[in-house]
Amino acid sequence: MTELPSNATKRLKTMAISAGAAVVGVADAAAFDAHAPARHRPADLLPGARTVVVVGGAQPRAGDWVATSPWLLSTMGTTERIQGVGRRLAQSIESELGYYALYVPPGTASGDTPFLSLMLAAELAGLGSRSLAGPILNREHGFMYWSAVITTAPLEVDGPETAPACPAPPCREMWAREHTTPCLRVCPLHEGGCLAGRLEDGRAVRTGYDAARCNTRVHTHWVGGFQKVLEETLNEPDREKRKMLVYGDFMTRTLWAITYSSTNIAQCFECMRVCPAAHGLKEMR
Amino acid sequence: MATDGVVQAVKRVGLDAGARVVGVAAAEAFRAGVPEGFRPEDILPGARSVVVAGGDGPTAGAWRCPDHRVMEITGYDLRENVAIHAMCDYIERELGYYAVQAPSLPVHGHEPPMSMMHAAELAGLGTRSFAAHIILNPEYGLLYYAALITTLPLPADPPLAEPACPHPGCVAMYKRIGTTPCLRVCPACLSGTLKDARIETSTYDREKCHSRAQTYGIGSFQKALLAVVNEDDAGRRREMIHSDFFAKSVQSVGFFRDSIAQCFECMRVCPVGRKHRKLK
Amino acid sequence: MGFFRLDPEVYARHKDDVLRLSNSFQRIDARGLSDREIAERLGLDEPTVTEIRVIAERDCYPLDEWQRAIEFKRKACRDWAAAALKRPDLKDS
Repeated sequence: MTELPSNATKRLKTMAISAGAAVVGVADAAAFDAHAPARHRPADLLPGARTVVVVGGAQPRAGDWVATSPWLLSTMGTTERIQGVGRRLAQSIESELGYYALYVPPGTASGDTPFLSLMLAAELAGLGSRSLAGPILNREHGFMYWSAVITTAPLEVDGPETAPACPAPPCREMWAREHTTPCLRVCPLHEGGCLAGRLEDGRAVRTGYDAARCNTRVHTHWVGGFQKVLEETLNEPDREKRKMLVYGDFMTRTLWAITYSSTNIAQCFECMRVCPAAHGLKEMR
Repeated sequence: MATDGVVQAVKRVGLDAGARVVGVAAAEAFRAGVPEGFRPEDILPGARSVVVAGGDGPTAGAWRCPDHRVMEITGYDLRENVAIHAMCDYIERELGYYAVQAPSLPVHGHEPPMSMMHAAELAGLGTRSFAAHIILNPEYGLLYYAALITTLPLPADPPLAEPACPHPGCVAMYKRIGTTPCLRVCPACLSGTLKDARIETSTYDREKCHSRAQTYGIGSFQKALLAVVNEDDAGRRREMIHSDFFAKSVQSVGFFRDSIAQCFECMRVCPVGRKHRKLK
Repeated sequence: MGFFRLDPEVYARHKDDVLRLSNSFQRIDARGLSDREIAERLGLDEPTVTEIRVIAERDCYPLDEWQRAIEFKRKACRDWAAAALKRPDLKDS
């Protein structure tokens, strides 16, 4: 077995930042066992996995969050910029350290189940914590995109964060005043939205999340929408009405999203748009 | 207003990231020719400037290929978009102003939230031509454009005083035979007249051009799909589904690079920028 | 509220006007109207105009036009190569 140099973890992290990551951390592969279902743990993908390197970055810019056009965030997705960093890390671990490395592809094995939860990986690598709305928030950078590399290299492990970004102080004040928070108010489960929860002893407690409905918002125009319109079309006996469906705005936009990846990364950001902890700390003019 | 040093620094970031040309337009300059809802200020509140990057299209060698299918699926490295990201990062991280990539992909049919062609014109990077009103850069001809919108107030580059089109060779041709290379090669999509060596009238049938510029893609997939679902005969349906046309259409939907641009005939015969395509 | 479906009769009634006023048939000296502007002009609501326009853009030419496009490009590309590269054998017959 190849010996790991004592500064290997530090050098790898430096490389990740140079390659474009905003943050980088290392999780213990065994730590996933308590949280992830079987077949979706690091050792299920790479036998002998010891650690998982996680990078975060490519997040929406400050300007993206304040933009008033609904098309900006939903058509100019940037997550692919962090995936390239993950790939390079995997190649570097193998070529320079001599250990196996597996870049976790961001797609799914089937349906909506990922190979490995990148959100869980980010938490266990100490890069952020789960928000009431769901996404992992980093204390400095807020909402980010993630990439992960599973490896047999025994890198130095970072522990999970102890102080979560959520709930942010303005949200605690809002809860005390109005018994809701910005994310719960913008997308409430009891009014046809996706989220339900509360703040309890200063902690965010999520009591409800309608993943299927969230999917219709985050991926309004994507495979699911295409399947729906196709089904409607095949079931429509009137030929002129079929044309309205196949040539219509929804199908056209959905095909654009299937074709151009920047337009299908995510198509709803409303819970994050209103989140005071999601946009990073830097002030802009 | 930012200093010349700042604007040069921003442009240098874009050029180093792979843009062929970079120009700046004032956000307010869009008001005159752009309907409400499609202006920089409608996308980023407080927008002051639009920085536009132009990137290369096909290589000179690709233009010489006698098989048109090669350029149909050549795709591009889209460096102008990379340049825009690099400049956005620079403006936000180093200068502390908001910057966003201008959304340019169509969201309702053929309609993008903002016109990259108009941005290129206003930023002094080119002028509209006979050929599908494509913006021609006087030095390089056809380039692909991307833009960013920012609250950083940058001194704007003026629109070009002299149009790139018509080229003197085209003026001479028009005088001789009443047409130009692009109008002659594609009368289906284009028509126009010159007067005093300037474009007098010019029309462009975008929907016909779409059947050529994106022969295989979203549109052809929709056309073919409708024909398939309306076909009652199972055998005929099978032929349509497994046809070369439908297969290429699905392929173009799957690989976006296959569907960026698929007709270059008006640009192939255009003399603007051609000197850069003469190699060994 | 169900999925928005355009009534084919509404489409047939307005498609030519919507397309004519939009950016489909362009003149270099004038811009096409936005969906909102077209809606105001025709007395329709904007989502209906958008739907009509998107369908009409696709419906404008039949699938035959795509076949003509394939033949046009093959011929134009080969004819240019024959002339520019001085290779008469490349000319599309």
